[in-house]
Amino acid sequence: MQKNLIYAGAFLALVLLQIFLVDNISLSVYFHPLIYVAFIILLPLDTKPIWMVLCSALLGLMIDVMTGMGGLNVIATTACGFLRPYVVNLVTGHSMGMDDSSPDIHRLPEKNFRFYIVAMVVLHSVIYFMMESLSLHHILHTLLRIIISDIAAVVFIYYFVKLFIEKILKR
Amino acid sequence: MYRLIEFLRRIYVVLLFIAIEAIALNFYAHSSYYTQAKILSRAHSVAGGIQSSIFGVKHYFTLRSENEALSQRVAELEGLLSHYREKEATAATDSLSLEGIDSTMVESLSQYRYTTARIISNSISRSRNFITLNRGLMHGVVVDMAVISPTGVMIGYVVGCSERYSVVLPMLNMDFRTSGKIVGDEHFGSISWSGKSPYKVEMNDLSKHADIEIGDEVVSAGLSHYFPEGIKIGYVESYSINDTQTSYNVTVRLAADMTKLNNVILIENFDYGEIQALENNPQNEEYN
Repeated sequence: MQKNLIYAGAFLALVLLQIFLVDNISLSVYFHPLIYVAFIILLPLDTKPIWMVLCSALLGLMIDVMTGMGGLNVIATTACGFLRPYVVNLVTGHSMGMDDSSPDIHRLPEKNFRFYIVAMVVLHSVIYFMMESLSLHHILHTLLRIIISDIAAVVFIYYFVKLFIEKILKR
Repeated sequence: MYRLIEFLRRIYVVLLFIAIEAIALNFYAHSSYYTQAKILSRAHSVAGGIQSSIFGVKHYFTLRSENEALSQRVAELEGLLSHYREKEATAATDSLSLEGIDSTMVESLSQYRYTTARIISNSISRSRNFITLNRGLMHGVVVDMAVISPTGVMIGYVVGCSERYSVVLPMLNMDFRTSGKIVGDEHFGSISWSGKSPYKVEMNDLSKHADIEIGDEVVSAGLSHYFPEGIKIGYVESYSINDTQTSYNVTVRLAADMTKLNNVILIENFDYGEIQALENNPQNEEYN
């Protein structure tokens, strides 16, 4: 129960940070870090797939409603939540079924942990920015947006997840 | 039957995923800037207070430059006012007295009404950006009002209103369209944003007979109903003739720094409703 509340707090904190802080940084058209995907990254690795999909969709819906985007965030986050188990398998190199010994993010080796964050951020932003531009006409422009935004997002999410694990989860 | 249930039990997550994606894709495909502005203005009814205070802190740091720009604008308008005063004096000496016209009559003769607002949220990093203002229906702001900067430069127009907030479709939104022309030339082109730079917009379909040079001032052509004629947009940065050799594609450097906006002026065109009703009148279509 307490763990659920902690995750609900993280959900709320990330949504508020995205809307009131990150979205208010008007640096450039290429700088649009999508930090809220950290919530999908944070969820325990043994979360049931149905909850992964539902939580991800809810996250996208919250951002969509607050920013007026018509379903774009739901498309990106739900796909991200659905595909996360496959990304985790790719990172850890073996299948993690429900009967597996409950692995957690903080037990991942540092190298795999970084790869996991980068893979999830890139997966999410590629879907988001490609769906937003809806054309291959400005593909270089879109790629540049993905690269610059993802560098910022990965750095933020890495420290956010570390802080969350060290200071909140392990307490 | 058992097999079917077993099969569904195995793939229900996939089915749920497909259903959510299908609903979201359908909604996204059918959403326009109008629906987005509507959602955004509703959301700001809840979160507008927080946005307002965050933007207030940002605003504090730009007060100095904003004051300088405003003083400059006041000086410009003072110049214009003295010019009209002189004209009035000349008219009076020519025994064309204006005494019969009171101030209310002058107001009713004007096609435009002006009001001000403060920006509480502004993004430039999306391809479809919106600006939110701290004035809504209860302050007299209505949809289709033109939005310009305090220095008289084009920003966008209002597309959604709640009681206390309104949402603006700025030039930095790929759905934005208006008409523009070069000062001193009557040919006009279509202004839109390509999504690449927050400092530049494109003016396409400008007739190849237009008299154009780099550095020329670009203003609104007054054909879009939202903006009065002559509102400054920016300056010609570069231009090229299109593939069919029929018109120019012009890159315009914006006169307003859209990344540093704080206060804006709203303009209501009293004739807009009448013009639109006339254009939508089915009787007119019979003659087309």
